[in-house]
Amino acid sequence: MWSGTVSFSLVAIPVRLVKAVKPGHITFRTLHRTDYSPLARRMYCPKHEQIVPPDEIVRGYEIVPDRYLPITDEELESVSPERSRTIEIIEFIDMDEVDPIYYDHPYYLVPLKGGEKAYRLLAEVMRRTNRAGLAKFVMVEREYLVAVISTEGALAMITLHYSEEVLPDDGIAPKEEKMDAKELSLMEQSIRNMTADFDPGKYANNRRESVMELVKLKMKEHAPVEAPAVEEEAGVGPPDLVAALEEIMRDVKKSR
Amino acid sequence: MSRKVIEIAGRRLALSNLEKDLYPSWGFTKAHVLDYYRRIAAFMLPHLKDRALTLKRYPDGVGKAFFFVKRCPDYHPVWAKTAEVRRGSSKMMTVCLANNLETLLWVENLASLELHVPLSRTGSPETPDAMVFDLDPGEQATILDCAIVALILRILLTRLRLASYPKTSGQKGLHVYVPLNYREATFEDTKIFSKTVAVIMQKNYPDLVTAKMAKEQRTGKVFINWSQNDASKTMICVYSLRAREKPFVSFPLEWKELERLVRQGKPESLQVMYSEAVSRVEESGDLFRQVLIKKQKLPHL
Repeated sequence: MWSGTVSFSLVAIPVRLVKAVKPGHITFRTLHRTDYSPLARRMYCPKHEQIVPPDEIVRGYEIVPDRYLPITDEELESVSPERSRTIEIIEFIDMDEVDPIYYDHPYYLVPLKGGEKAYRLLAEVMRRTNRAGLAKFVMVEREYLVAVISTEGALAMITLHYSEEVLPDDGIAPKEEKMDAKELSLMEQSIRNMTADFDPGKYANNRRESVMELVKLKMKEHAPVEAPAVEEEAGVGPPDLVAALEEIMRDVKKSR
Repeated sequence: MSRKVIEIAGRRLALSNLEKDLYPSWGFTKAHVLDYYRRIAAFMLPHLKDRALTLKRYPDGVGKAFFFVKRCPDYHPVWAKTAEVRRGSSKMMTVCLANNLETLLWVENLASLELHVPLSRTGSPETPDAMVFDLDPGEQATILDCAIVALILRILLTRLRLASYPKTSGQKGLHVYVPLNYREATFEDTKIFSKTVAVIMQKNYPDLVTAKMAKEQRTGKVFINWSQNDASKTMICVYSLRAREKPFVSFPLEWKELERLVRQGKPESLQVMYSEAVSRVEESGDLFRQVLIKKQKLPHL
């Protein structure tokens, strides 16, 4: 994955990026019911009623339905930003001001050799001041807006949605009406009674656990099904032809 | 935009955009493309005749967007021959047949650099008149490896009393054709036969040959694509240009020539350019003619 430096003013800290989350859901392979061969996805052209090989696939920008502008890889590349080697912090912001709706994907920043001291220093100061560094950064041909944050002595980075990606919440909140003071205090009371510290460890992914339970149980009771070898066995085909070909092959190899 | 109206066999055909550079690195314009097909036509037309034509159009030249056209465009000239073919299980589709020079030049005026045709004719779409071994080099393999495989293939086929004819794909591979030209031939037979050959070749030359479609299994090897033996598949027609950087042609070679080229070991010498294609057919005729006439039956089925 990406490695480079986190930098601002005269500071440059060498780091590499690692994922901070992995999806918790269990994935299944799709199999052909008849013999449990694993299935593959293919691009299908309904017009020609055939599977389209990758080299016949091009991108098209849909102008109106059924009218496209083909865009080549080269064209896309020509407008892609240069891969950047730095996460250049432009400004420091108060993390509380960032609406969580902007959070997209979290990563950890791992210090590389020689950067440990500055890394610790930055993490500590950011933690004390509850500041996050706002930076722009290119990863895999896309420019991201990211927040560099401090978590328990480590630096993390969250890619943020651009503001135009966030949908407006107009019309979601009901019209303002005068609220009854008694009802307000009652609601406050209920919330206060249920207040706790955030401890995500208390909550397990129940779906995952019950599916794994099921898998373990089935493992005891059933032997797993085996996909047929995709390997084309010799002997496939008419026996006479196979025998004739094998014989010729022996002669050919002898004479070569 | 240059326009020119020509007349062939009393039929008028308007040619347009003649100065359009279709092979920019070679300065090969649409006028050159039309001229190439005009000069090769006498040799190529018998191979196109009565076959559902698939056009690979490059209106802006090689390296730019291209279109596969299977359905004959509605605006085709009234004199262009067409046929109705079954598409999928029920629907029918009108296809172009490049049965004469004027139709060939008309489709070339659409910048159809590549012409692909099925192994059967529209009158008997389920009857292949040849079996093909499409030799496709994986990454790190070259056309020379294809030629080595083709030569082994030839020995196999000869021992089975089957004559075979190689041509370059005009890209990186070679195609070996086994003429059949008998009414009872079926794609089912040609597929099982070619697949069996491919599998046995793979078994005996595992470092050189693969019979498997998967890209990652092809590295450094030659993929014998037997699955081209199918009514729904098309092959690049012999003598068709290819849309590569240079105007290479899918061109028939003699086995002796292939042996010599393998000994020389220069992959690029196996490629035939348009200019060489024209001078060679004019001198030695259509090396692929036997593919259209030789009658052979697949043994051991």
